[in-house]
Amino acid sequence: MKTGDVAIRVRDVSHQFGEPGEAQFVQALQHTSLDITRGELLCLIGPSGCGKSTLLNMIGGLLTPTTGTVEVGGKPVRAPLPRDIAFVFQENALFPWCTIIENVKLGMVFQGVPKAEQEPRARKALEAVGLKDFMGHYPAQLSGGMRQRAALARALSLETGTLLMDEPFGALDEQTRMILGEDLSVLLSTTEKTIVFVTHSLGEAVFLADRVAVFSARPGRIKEIIEVDEPHPRKPSFVTTEKFSRLRNTLYELLHEEIRKAIEQAATASPHP
Amino acid sequence: MTDAAQLKRALIRHPGLSRLAVIAALLLLWEIAARWWIDPTFLSPPSRIVASLGDLFNTKGIPAALQITAWELAVAFAISVVVGLVVGLAVGLSRFSNRSLMPIILLLYGTPQITILPLFILYFGIGPPSKIAFGVTHGIFPIIVTIVAGVQNIKPILMTAAHSMGASRWQIFRWVIFPHMIPTFFAGMRLGMTGVLLGVLLAELYVSTAGIGYFTQLFTQAFDPTKLLGLVSVLAAMAIALNEIVRRAEVHFGRWRTD
Amino acid sequence: MSARQDRRDKIASRAVQIGFVVALIGLWYFGTAYWGISRILLPNPVNVWHELKDVIGSGEFLPDLRVTLTELAVAFAISCTAGVTLGYLISRSPYLIKVFEPLLAGFYSVPIILFLPLYVLFFGLGPGSKIALGTTISFFPIVLNTIAGFGYVEKIFITAARSMGASDFQMFRYVLLPAALPVMLTGLRIGFTVALLSILGSETIASLEGLGHRIVHLAEAMETARMFAYIAFAVVIAATLNSIVSSLERRAKRR
Repeated sequence: MKTGDVAIRVRDVSHQFGEPGEAQFVQALQHTSLDITRGELLCLIGPSGCGKSTLLNMIGGLLTPTTGTVEVGGKPVRAPLPRDIAFVFQENALFPWCTIIENVKLGMVFQGVPKAEQEPRARKALEAVGLKDFMGHYPAQLSGGMRQRAALARALSLETGTLLMDEPFGALDEQTRMILGEDLSVLLSTTEKTIVFVTHSLGEAVFLADRVAVFSARPGRIKEIIEVDEPHPRKPSFVTTEKFSRLRNTLYELLHEEIRKAIEQAATASPHP
Repeated sequence: MTDAAQLKRALIRHPGLSRLAVIAALLLLWEIAARWWIDPTFLSPPSRIVASLGDLFNTKGIPAALQITAWELAVAFAISVVVGLVVGLAVGLSRFSNRSLMPIILLLYGTPQITILPLFILYFGIGPPSKIAFGVTHGIFPIIVTIVAGVQNIKPILMTAAHSMGASRWQIFRWVIFPHMIPTFFAGMRLGMTGVLLGVLLAELYVSTAGIGYFTQLFTQAFDPTKLLGLVSVLAAMAIALNEIVRRAEVHFGRWRTD
Repeated sequence: MSARQDRRDKIASRAVQIGFVVALIGLWYFGTAYWGISRILLPNPVNVWHELKDVIGSGEFLPDLRVTLTELAVAFAISCTAGVTLGYLISRSPYLIKVFEPLLAGFYSVPIILFLPLYVLFFGLGPGSKIALGTTISFFPIVLNTIAGFGYVEKIFITAARSMGASDFQMFRYVLLPAALPVMLTGLRIGFTVALLSILGSETIASLEGLGHRIVHLAEAMETARMFAYIAFAVVIAATLNSIVSSLERRAKRR
């Protein structure tokens, strides 16, 4: 569902923690530039510590880049833009003291949606993710998969142009991930949102994305961008095709040495106190 | 970097320094208030208190009173630990004992023991035995409760693992339960020490003919804030030292804990 | 353990508990009625019961109870306000937390009852010294728990709210406050319990009125039966207050 123009423009962005020469200095992301088209789903994949989440947070305004600029929908990003960008986090970011529907409505309260619109929008979003019967439940009463559906509903109800997802299914088991991935593909095919999706899973990246940006080990940079030319919504049978395997293998070859490097980096770091 | 900026950076890097600065500021405030703002009948500045400490220790009966208090604390603590450990293990290791006796123990733990302090004096007299007894009743319950909880909290998987390797009941106790219990035991001792301190000091302040309670009353009635604050400070220092010793022991013996 | 064995165990443990209480009361009764334990040291339970009925029926307990409860209310009100306010302010900065939390925790570890003679010197034997001590002691669990509640809200909640555009006030009202509430309420409950204990304690040690004092007065007058009655009364009052506060805490923590 690509509509051509550039929705997110990342120019020469990099990020470091601390000052060069200090013990705690880390170059999280090397100079990176990226253009993301409106309506496309771009996956960021790479080994631990490669900077993909850092890049996502910078696109969303949660982190300020050390160098470079980010523009979303033509607007420069220096702080969160709640009207334009919505997040889905990996950790359970649903407020445990609110029911599911209260959680979704609270997002709209923060964004500034008029009170009368909140209830119908919340209901619509929760129905779209399949949680129609659980609106009055508390997050603790739901399974991990259902909680992430609710988190997705909260993000969708904000009706932003961009959706940023940071390993949303990372804490779930593989079977739940499969189902949620299929449902997500169906859901997103009906919207025109621009989506940036961080994941560790090769299969998930190929299944969901229009393009996959492969990161190197730290200090991270985009090693290569793979195209997945397949119509949306992706059918479950896509996973069994030869094209899928080929793409997945390409990702594997690109990533494998980076993953090894990342593990060696972690091993030479100081042990836990 | 200017001196002021360097100082600021040092304070930010080391919260400990800031803490000392706060304590110093409070002492300074106390000093100023006591010297110029508040009637000297009621409050003494820290400088005078420190200066008069020598005098305090030379006062007849004070060193003896401190010794008696220390003695009461030691005995009460020892009894609490021994009895608390035995009862705690007995109740914790047997599921039946736990179920039947624990509610009684918790009920006793929860009652305001201060209301029966006069009874203790009635029964044990006004000398050290009543102070020790009252200290024991305060110190024993946290130890029992802690040890019971510690025994209950041993992860069943550890017991299963030992059992699967053929360990006998005694071996499981010696090599799984006992070592597991050591940090818990020290945690219990820390709480027990707090309880013993409270119990003994309460009893001392209530009635005492030669102990510190006698002197706190004496100094209060004589409106001598200097000596009173001095004595209280010495006792507070003693309490802090005792607490710190038990706390360090707990940290040292609990090194393998992940929680 | 099978369900049947479990039920048998439950009945057996209940039996042990009831047996314990019955044995205790039984020993008490027989000890004083037939085995010659001095009535002055240990009054007969029947006498204690009569005295208790008299105390309650005649309303003799009212002035002392009023004093104790007033001291408790004032002390708790002050420590609540001061503790929550200060705790919230400190929690706003991780640096302030690092500086003040250990200081407050360290101060709390000193047996604050030691301050009682100082307060008596300053405020006299009246309610003032009791309120001062009650406030001082209950301040610490309240402020420490408030710092813990507000200062350690899980970062993901703050990030998520920020990403959705929450204002500072919205952040406080919809995220910080509900997140901090359970821990804070525990602190308030502990503060209440500790205030009550320290007020009863200071009334016992140095006071002219209040429940604690009444018990001491009766002990000195060797009216042990009536003293026992008052002790029972005080214990029941304390237990009632504590369970009310506990259930309030549970109710507010419902989620």
